[in-house]
Amino acid sequence: MPEKKLICYKCRKELELKKANFSYLGHTFYTDAPTCPECGIVYISEDLVKGRMSDVEMQLEDK
Amino acid sequence: MAYTNELVADCLQFEEAFCSAECPFNLDVRDFIGKLQQGRFNVAYRTYQYTVGFPGIVSSLCNEPCKLVCPMKDAGGAISIRLLEKAAIDFARNKDPEQYNKPPKLNKIAIIGAGISGLACALRLTTKKYNVTIYEKSDRIGGHLHNMLPPDIFLGDINRQFMHEQYTLHLNTEILCLDDLCFDAIYVATGKGGAEFRPASGRDGVFSGGSLTGADIMHAIADGLNISKTIEGYLKTGIINQQEEIAGTKLIREAIRIITSNALIPADVDSYTKDESLAEAKRCLKCACDACVHFSPLMNYFKKFPKRITEEVEVTIHPSSLDGNATLATRFISTCNHCGLCKEVCPVNIDVGEFLLQSHRTMHKKGAMPWVFHEFYLRDMEFSNGKAALTRLPLGSDTSRYAFFPGCQLGASDPKYVMQSYRFLTEHFPDMALMMSCCGAPAEWAGDEALHKSALAKIKADWEKLGQPKAIFACPMCKQMFKRYLPMIEGEFLYNIMDEEGILPVNLVKDRAASIFDPCASRYEEELQKTIRKLSTRAGFNLEPLLMEGKLAECCSYGGQVAVTYPPYASNMVLTRIRQSENPYITYCINCRDIFAAAKKPTWHILDIFFDLGNENRKPPTVSERRYNRMKVKNQLLKEFWKEANTMEKSENELIISQELREKLNKELILETDVYTVIEQCEKSGSKLFDPDKLTFSGHMQIGNMTYWVEYRTMKDIGFELINAYCHRMKLGEE
Repeated sequence: MPEKKLICYKCRKELELKKANFSYLGHTFYTDAPTCPECGIVYISEDLVKGRMSDVEMQLEDK
Repeated sequence: MAYTNELVADCLQFEEAFCSAECPFNLDVRDFIGKLQQGRFNVAYRTYQYTVGFPGIVSSLCNEPCKLVCPMKDAGGAISIRLLEKAAIDFARNKDPEQYNKPPKLNKIAIIGAGISGLACALRLTTKKYNVTIYEKSDRIGGHLHNMLPPDIFLGDINRQFMHEQYTLHLNTEILCLDDLCFDAIYVATGKGGAEFRPASGRDGVFSGGSLTGADIMHAIADGLNISKTIEGYLKTGIINQQEEIAGTKLIREAIRIITSNALIPADVDSYTKDESLAEAKRCLKCACDACVHFSPLMNYFKKFPKRITEEVEVTIHPSSLDGNATLATRFISTCNHCGLCKEVCPVNIDVGEFLLQSHRTMHKKGAMPWVFHEFYLRDMEFSNGKAALTRLPLGSDTSRYAFFPGCQLGASDPKYVMQSYRFLTEHFPDMALMMSCCGAPAEWAGDEALHKSALAKIKADWEKLGQPKAIFACPMCKQMFKRYLPMIEGEFLYNIMDEEGILPVNLVKDRAASIFDPCASRYEEELQKTIRKLSTRAGFNLEPLLMEGKLAECCSYGGQVAVTYPPYASNMVLTRIRQSENPYITYCINCRDIFAAAKKPTWHILDIFFDLGNENRKPPTVSERRYNRMKVKNQLLKEFWKEANTMEKSENELIISQELREKLNKELILETDVYTVIEQCEKSGSKLFDPDKLTFSGHMQIGNMTYWVEYRTMKDIGFELINAYCHRMKLGEE
């Protein structure tokens, strides 16, 4: 599914895929996520949240 | 570790069945019968043959000591294990012993006496390919079996069992002195009144047993089999170990769930047909203590006994892996409902729930328990004890004898419950104060001792300010918490007062069948349980008991607030509870009521019936409505009883949410107030994203530890329309 087009309201810039960091229970990760090239605001889709992210969350809770 | 070892020291999980402990051969009856129950005669026969050595002889002569200890003895008749053993022989496809291809061993063993005990020892040793010589003073083998059975029966069995093995037999050879025998080990089995050599010989490697040492025929065979192991041990190590005594069993009758059934009398006097043996085998309860795994929802779901639980929890708390994080029981610890059923059903009172509570506290102290398991509920408690709390003396009183403690969820479910109850109480006791807050259970269940202590301290301080009144509870869980942690506060149930005051329901029902679902916290509140039944009967209900009620009361799934920790476990629990009976339920814990109603089980709270508040199908409110209702009831109370003006906060902008989305938010425990906070923050800061195709904005914000995402449209002069919301546990950026 192509990423939808999103515009940062503050900077009026279209978001670009960039490395975004995450952390949970003492572990850090990164993945490419749409990010504003200027202010760095990111967008995390519900698909990512309910899919891969949720799997990793569960795994870390059980670790 | 000492504590955990002590906790399970008395556990009966590994105790033998009564029959096995009584059996001279220590036959694993549970295993044997289990195979028969599946119709696996051949493997059952193998188990039996391997255990007793001579199946034909033993099944003919056994005097069945097992029958005397069988719990079915008083429940239709003891299981006929001997006849089942016979059936295993009769219906086994292959009765010949296994042939083992092993290299011969050099050790030489002499057996004095070719009675059945000596032969049993010889059988085991020759199977292991030891060099065995038997000396028999008479001219035949079998000893006093000749006085007990027709020779063709016992000789047939002996010959069959020895068919692949060899030994040297010296008949008509009486041994008078062991010194002349040049063997590595000697088994003296000279039978009843036979020659005894051991004291005189003074040499190692001489063993005696069987009828010589006073054993009956069954024990004589068992002796022979067991001594073969001692001999083998001696030959390998030079050490003489005592024969393993059958330790007996600590199993107790109370641990067995007895199901009465009549003993099967065989059509043929001394043997079962195949079908008869299957039917008789199925009567066997395979006695074992598994009450905890049978009844406790947690232990049943995970099929784990206390010993395994303590081991897994122990390594979770004190991980020994290199990276220190092999914590396999983290989620399990947090999944306990703390309903107390495991301790109640355990014949030796092992309290796994208490152990898990202590473990949860330890994990919390270490910071090793994921915050997400309890954060939603702890925020809810904070709300109940903050904005939504209300503690007051009645107008015009400067002290009180009583204080109504409705708990946090009663008004959350429906403000009318609290309003009507407080009206009723103040009508009968005008100095009835109000203490509306949370009892602290969520902090207890989260293992957060510090938070729990502060919640309790606040309740105690409030109670003192009110003049130390007696607390009137609507929720059995609140009372349970007070009893344990605030024992100075005397308590009584609202329902007992309703009964004492002779309350009548607004509408009587006529002979309507229903079952009382006792909440788990009512387990030791016998009087309360009786009162609820009395009230329900008074209201016209025709009560039918549930299997799990009274002391066996089960948790509805709310206890421990485990729904975030293990969602499938919680939903499975709800289904099990509501399927206990087709009848609608009457309960007296609002969480039971709302959880069952959410699963479409018609359920009344007892207050619904007496105050004519809601019907059994009333849909419970969403998590957001539960917060709103708490504010609503607080304001209604203030208005009606303290004549104070409405202080309900109203937001500037309206937030429009479709019904479908509301349900999604409820399911995912996303509060509409949180959604609104995120939108407000996006609007205020301008940190938001615009979707030019959908004309929507998106943004996120971390509240507590959770990150919430919203997608919304602005609606001029109205507010916002929520398009979607979701949340994740991971934090954006590095910790």
